[in-house]
Amino acid sequence: MIGAPPVALDEARRRLRELGYLDGRVDRFLFRRAFEGRGGLFLPAVVLSAFAAALASTAAVESSEAGFGASLAAVAVLFVHLFLADLVPAALAALVASKLADRARAPGALAAAAALAAAGAVVALWVGGVWSLVRNLPARALLWGVPIAAAAFVAATAVRGGVLARAYAHSRVLPSRRRSRFALASAALLVLAGALTLLGLRGEAVPAPPPKPSPRSGAVVVIAVDGFSDGTEAEAGRDLADLFAAAATGWWPAHPASPPEIWTDLATGEPPESHGVRALERVRPRFSPAAVRAPLGTSWYLRRVGPALGLVRGAPVSASDRRRLAFWEVAASAGLPAQAVGWWASGAWPGAEVVSNEELLAGARDGLGADRRARDLFRRAVGGERIRTVYLPGLDILRGQPEARRAALAETASFLIEEIRAARTRGDAVVVLAASSHPAAASLGRMLVFDGAERKTVRIREEDVAPSILARAGIPVSRDLAGRPVDALFAPGALDAETVPTYGARVAPRETRRSTDREYLEKLRSLGYLN
Amino acid sequence: MALPDHPFERFAAAQRPGLEGELRRALPETSPDTLARAVSDAVLSPGKRFRPLVALAAGELASAPAETARAVAVATEFVHAASLVLDDLPSMDDARRRRGRPALHVVHGTATAELVAVLLVARAFELVGGAEGASPATRTRLTRELAQAVEACCSGQGDDLAARPDALRLEDLESIHARKTGALFVAAVRGGAIGGGAREAELEALTRFARNLGLAFQITDDLLDLEGDAEVMGKDRAREGHRANFARLLGAESSRRLVEELSAAAVEALGPLGRRGRVLADLARVVRERRA
Repeated sequence: MIGAPPVALDEARRRLRELGYLDGRVDRFLFRRAFEGRGGLFLPAVVLSAFAAALASTAAVESSEAGFGASLAAVAVLFVHLFLADLVPAALAALVASKLADRARAPGALAAAAALAAAGAVVALWVGGVWSLVRNLPARALLWGVPIAAAAFVAATAVRGGVLARAYAHSRVLPSRRRSRFALASAALLVLAGALTLLGLRGEAVPAPPPKPSPRSGAVVVIAVDGFSDGTEAEAGRDLADLFAAAATGWWPAHPASPPEIWTDLATGEPPESHGVRALERVRPRFSPAAVRAPLGTSWYLRRVGPALGLVRGAPVSASDRRRLAFWEVAASAGLPAQAVGWWASGAWPGAEVVSNEELLAGARDGLGADRRARDLFRRAVGGERIRTVYLPGLDILRGQPEARRAALAETASFLIEEIRAARTRGDAVVVLAASSHPAAASLGRMLVFDGAERKTVRIREEDVAPSILARAGIPVSRDLAGRPVDALFAPGALDAETVPTYGARVAPRETRRSTDREYLEKLRSLGYLN
Repeated sequence: MALPDHPFERFAAAQRPGLEGELRRALPETSPDTLARAVSDAVLSPGKRFRPLVALAAGELASAPAETARAVAVATEFVHAASLVLDDLPSMDDARRRRGRPALHVVHGTATAELVAVLLVARAFELVGGAEGASPATRTRLTRELAQAVEACCSGQGDDLAARPDALRLEDLESIHARKTGALFVAAVRGGAIGGGAREAELEALTRFARNLGLAFQITDDLLDLEGDAEVMGKDRAREGHRANFARLLGAESSRRLVEELSAAAVEALGPLGRRGRVLADLARVVRERRA
């Protein structure tokens, strides 16, 4: 019978290590478990992979969201959210890897492949995450490459060790591991070099030279009316109906989408996947002081699972979400004064007088008030603008309130008639964008042009609107836009035929917010947008 | 149900007949007959042959010529047999039984047993010094490795005899056993690999393996000394209770844990050798599971 031992187990371990025993490195933990037939061989791989993935996604957000990194709390909270979320896919991947390891005839090759896949996924989350959020990457973002490469390497090593240990536990045969460390390190370096090169070569990191406008008299007035489906003019009275009937009209099939998405399509001449504005809301992880956009690989959690669990809240859309220039921003960049009131995802822009949607709605109690405020702000133009535009949200906000909507429609009709006549008197072109963020089945979106062209109706695309307005304002159209100017809707020879290769990236000035996310969201909610 | 894959047992089963024959053929030719019989008894009594099998496995993984690996294996077993003969002497452990039989000095007398030990050690050096298939440089290196192991055995035994069991620290015990038993285990592994011209990195990995597994082997031995069946062990336990012992120092449960961890560390050390190390890796399992 052995009595109480003089040396405790932990003490014995420590002292034996000092004597050169139990001297394995990272794999010791895994192989010991494998040897003893215990589970959890992939635990380090799952934890370290989730860590690396969360780091990559957090880096993508930090690199692309101006001011986000200034709040360490925001960075830390986002990281913790993503880390916990990433444990799930990491565990699933580990499950697959463990099954493959059980069946592997060449565990060493499988381990190296799994490790490379893990490292590649981490780097892809970083590069793809940045790419999905921003095109004007600050140089300091590349500094993230160092910790991300280190995290990817550690995760890859853990994955490799997990696969090897699992294969060993299953077969009791050691796989070949010669030179694999060197190969793995080389591959990781190559992936990193590729990522850095990719990021470094991004041509859109700086804005293109501003387009040179042609000398042209007259301006373009753009009045955007949300909730104005085809046929609404008949409700508004004969005058407006007659006026609209005389316009050259381009139409497109309306489709349900969020108001910011539809109206940003029209403002930029690009589809949502290009301009980046998708929804009314961004996301704010619980306890985070800042809202973010969900980078590549995180939407499943930040937009779906997190909100369902109450761990993530929405935050309103803002101008920093938009990656392409709106038509008034192109004009201002070309040196032409511009005015824009009330558009979604709009914000301050050098050379333009911009009243954002947030500012517009902040001072409005309802749809009627929003339209009145928009019209009032629109009329305060200093004069001399080449492009003036206003977005009227009232009819859309009031779609469930027939009486108020009728009043709003009457005011909108008067405004349209008045502005169209005044503009035509001045020789300005008028473009009325009549569309609905909540379209009925088979309804249409329309661009009604009052520019002296004969009455006609042609099918166009939403993306054709912005290039048409720009061409009419005498600004060369970018050839990389999805849309094209529609000559048929304007007076012959009225559109500028010049083109430029690109308008470049939208390098936005720092956003100055006049309200908090909560206030803007509450306003949107009170107006019926987020119900 | 599929049988588990036990590479070491397959390897041992394949090698053992040839190894036994080689041990018999390599016995030193001597006279008188009583001394020759004693030498034969010392070597050919039934044993596990871990050390020569380990030397052969290391030789195989390093692609050593078969004659060279066999020379190292037999020399190692001769030195081990000599150490057992000396260990059992009345002046040392005074054991009466070994490998299930009366100890050599009990059957042939102390003087003959001492001569047997000297003869076997001398023959061991003769074997590695003239190993066929090995270059002169390799032979020299093998001889040096074996000499260092024998020196370590002697000094470890000396310390063991001089030690007060109740005053031994873990470090003292490790030092004694690392020299007394571990050194020959290391020499067997390294010798087989040196015979095949193994690179330094491979030798380093094998040394780590042998050190960790050698200690695991010794702790298991000590556990069996305290808890094992004397009949199964084939050893005389009369004196074992008076010797310093890892199991007594650490406790049975901790000892078992350390055997598992040391065995795992040994397996992990073989990592750089890849599949070539599978036989030795499986030996770690055998050591962990041994009951005699």
